[in-house]
Amino acid sequence: MATPKALVSALYDHWDTVEWLVQLSREFPSFESEHIFAVVTRLAPASSVEQQQQVLRQLCNADILQTLARGASFQLNAYVLEFVRGLTREHELGLSAVLSSRINAITDASRKLNEGLHVRDMDLLRQAANKLAELFRQIGQQLDQDRHAILELAERAKAANTDMPIARRYREVLDAYDNYVAPMAEMMDSGPDGTFYRHLEEAEHALDHTVEVLTVQGALYTHRLAMRNVAYQAKELRRLGREVLKQCSDTLLPLREEIRQHNQLSASISRLLGQVRKRGLNRTLAVRDLPLWRREISRAVSVGAEVLTIMSEARAFAPTHVAFPNERAADAMPSLNLVDEHELIAGLNAALPVPDLLRWLRARYVDLNDATLLRLYHELVARPGWQASQSDTPTTVRLNTVQVTLYPHAIIDE
Amino acid sequence: MKTATILAPLDLNKMPRLKELFAMLNSGRHINRLADPILWAELEREAIQFEDLFAALGYELRMDGRGYAWFQTAEASVTVSKTTRQLALLFMVLFELQADAGLNLGRFTDWHIDRKLLEALWDKNHALLEAEGFADAEALPQLLDTAARYGFAEALPNGWRLLPAVFRYLDRFEELSGNSDPVHAATSVELATAGREDT
Repeated sequence: MATPKALVSALYDHWDTVEWLVQLSREFPSFESEHIFAVVTRLAPASSVEQQQQVLRQLCNADILQTLARGASFQLNAYVLEFVRGLTREHELGLSAVLSSRINAITDASRKLNEGLHVRDMDLLRQAANKLAELFRQIGQQLDQDRHAILELAERAKAANTDMPIARRYREVLDAYDNYVAPMAEMMDSGPDGTFYRHLEEAEHALDHTVEVLTVQGALYTHRLAMRNVAYQAKELRRLGREVLKQCSDTLLPLREEIRQHNQLSASISRLLGQVRKRGLNRTLAVRDLPLWRREISRAVSVGAEVLTIMSEARAFAPTHVAFPNERAADAMPSLNLVDEHELIAGLNAALPVPDLLRWLRARYVDLNDATLLRLYHELVARPGWQASQSDTPTTVRLNTVQVTLYPHAIIDE
Repeated sequence: MKTATILAPLDLNKMPRLKELFAMLNSGRHINRLADPILWAELEREAIQFEDLFAALGYELRMDGRGYAWFQTAEASVTVSKTTRQLALLFMVLFELQADAGLNLGRFTDWHIDRKLLEALWDKNHALLEAEGFADAEALPQLLDTAARYGFAEALPNGWRLLPAVFRYLDRFEELSGNSDPVHAATSVELATAGREDT
């Protein structure tokens, strides 16, 4: 038996071959060596016989292909088959009975959950929640696989040979509808007969109630989180169930009712769409196989007419004459008010105390303009060296151009 | 020794819409008889002259009897590659939907494609379309607008209609479906085994 790492590595090396063999396993339960050589030749037409044999040897050594007990035929390893089918959406349709019994098992797990909550048995509670999570996972996986299996069935029927009798072409589809979709629809019926939503709803309520009780009891956060996650799974599963049923019915109904237009073109499109669903668009349709067209976008950058206008203007540029103003005579400038500061301070010191500084200044400098006079006033008030005190009664002083009303400062000797 | 082929003299007076035709074809557009009857009539009337003229300029004009023409190329730009793949997927899911509804696929030019139909298309195929990079249902009308730009569809007041150039895709679908198919592989495998039994 090969190690898991060797198996995965060989799977990586020979993925294309294994993918084709998995697809062929629908038609052939076991392969002869010629089958495998034919697949290898198809994928690599230039490969030699030795190379083909080497591929076969490697697949056998890695345990991807196993020799059948009696005879020289090969069979794909069941785990590999399951794994590759899962990844390439090549599922077989499951049994609706399996789905049904899993859904019934939900009731049992919900009952255990309630019981665990009642007797405050944390272990039982955890086991029941794990069981529910596992059931939800299995049901979700089966629903998803069955959806792809039904799409595959429908694609096969749609892609079938156009001259095949309609009863034969749609045989599988009719079987799938009667044995899978109809029971599933019955199970998902929202009435009293439907078990799917009812059981899921019960499980959801039990889980929600458990979360509430655990919160009140002050259980560990991790326990509450685990329960809540399982409850979310239940909600998601209800959505998935509804979606899968709708998709399956939508897919099979046009075939069952035989309203579908069936000809070479619709068969080809269905076959290609099936490939796109499983292998992706890029792997299914190479660009060289699709319609192409020539599309040339001119990206030339040229000089626009505006730039040409600017250039012609630049060539014919003539500077405009600007007449500068004549020089003014110095006497026309406003005369500066010059104040001899030393003389002012000395004069003020000699006149102390001065009851109203502004009036004193005004009387002394009659010719000074108002702004200078007021500036001097403020400077002198703020100046250290003597004390300025402000009167409580306002007075109005008329200056050269304005008249100011103020609470006058008196200057007294310190 | 090379023999010089003698070309008939071009009469440009018979090609009054040459400039318009060249501009459309060169921008990647397909000329359809259904959508551009005047241009198509001129193209069809002077087909040989147009083919010669465009060939001399390095362009390969292809005309299909079902009523469409385009400039063929083997090499596509990144934009055209992406667009042609997306259009292929759009046409596949659209034709699949219409086949399920029992419509005659051969008369696709009669279908009226409106937003309601596109919503149904998205509902049915959203898993597939999302897996292929279509962001949301709004991507479909945008793609049909692109199809209209390249002459695969025509925008109508309340939707779109497909034009005969879509036959290019349909032909390819029929050709391609045989190649990547396990049924064919099964046949070849059966042949291989049968060959062994014969010997």
